[in-house]
Amino acid sequence: MQLSINYKMNEMDIQQRMLVFINTANWILFLATAIFSMLYLSLDYTLGVIIGGFIVTINFHLLARTLRHALNPNELKSPNTIIAKYYIRFSITGVILFFLISRHIVHPLGLIVGLSIVVLSIVLATIYAITQHIQQKEAV
Amino acid sequence: MEGQALQFFIACVTAAGFGIAISAFGCGIGQGLGLKAAVEGIARNPESSGKVTVTMLIGLAMIESLCIYALVIALILIYAHPQASVIAGLLGAAH
Repeated sequence: MQLSINYKMNEMDIQQRMLVFINTANWILFLATAIFSMLYLSLDYTLGVIIGGFIVTINFHLLARTLRHALNPNELKSPNTIIAKYYIRFSITGVILFFLISRHIVHPLGLIVGLSIVVLSIVLATIYAITQHIQQKEAV
Repeated sequence: MEGQALQFFIACVTAAGFGIAISAFGCGIGQGLGLKAAVEGIARNPESSGKVTVTMLIGLAMIESLCIYALVIALILIYAHPQASVIAGLLGAAH
């Protein structure tokens, strides 16, 4: 099983590998931070981490969908639809964040930690890609 | 004292406004430059659209998160400042 996953990962190009790594790391980090805050921190902090993580993860997946429809010649859609979807996504995120903070539903620090999950997984993916690149160069 | 407390809230709102304005300006320029380069690349070489899209997705997600951070900080400054209740107490309007 592990070998077949490794084989598939080697077959893919570096960009696709990074995307798979980001998606996986994203959910793992999300679960890890949510469980950690559930066990050791307050309820509003946990709520902040979970809601922030969900917002940013859903945003990332929707951004991926929008870009695929905007730039992939096989899946092209109307530019107006793409722009409308982009602005709707952004305004919904803004409104949700506004209500979460103005009504004091979540702890702001927890929310920032939750919102950092995708950035953290991108940084981890970059470190992973650099390490792979160095290892490949050393092998050659 | 009350005047200074009031100035604190005015400064918070001004900082929030300028903060989100500057971050939106920077993120807009950054996203625009990234998108321009990606579209030019795909127009020259349409087969590379998959690779370019993934790379741009990662870049755009990083840039967008900066703007979301700025929005959160601005909202915290206005609605959930840690010292707001203490300063409001000085104004005689503690909640």
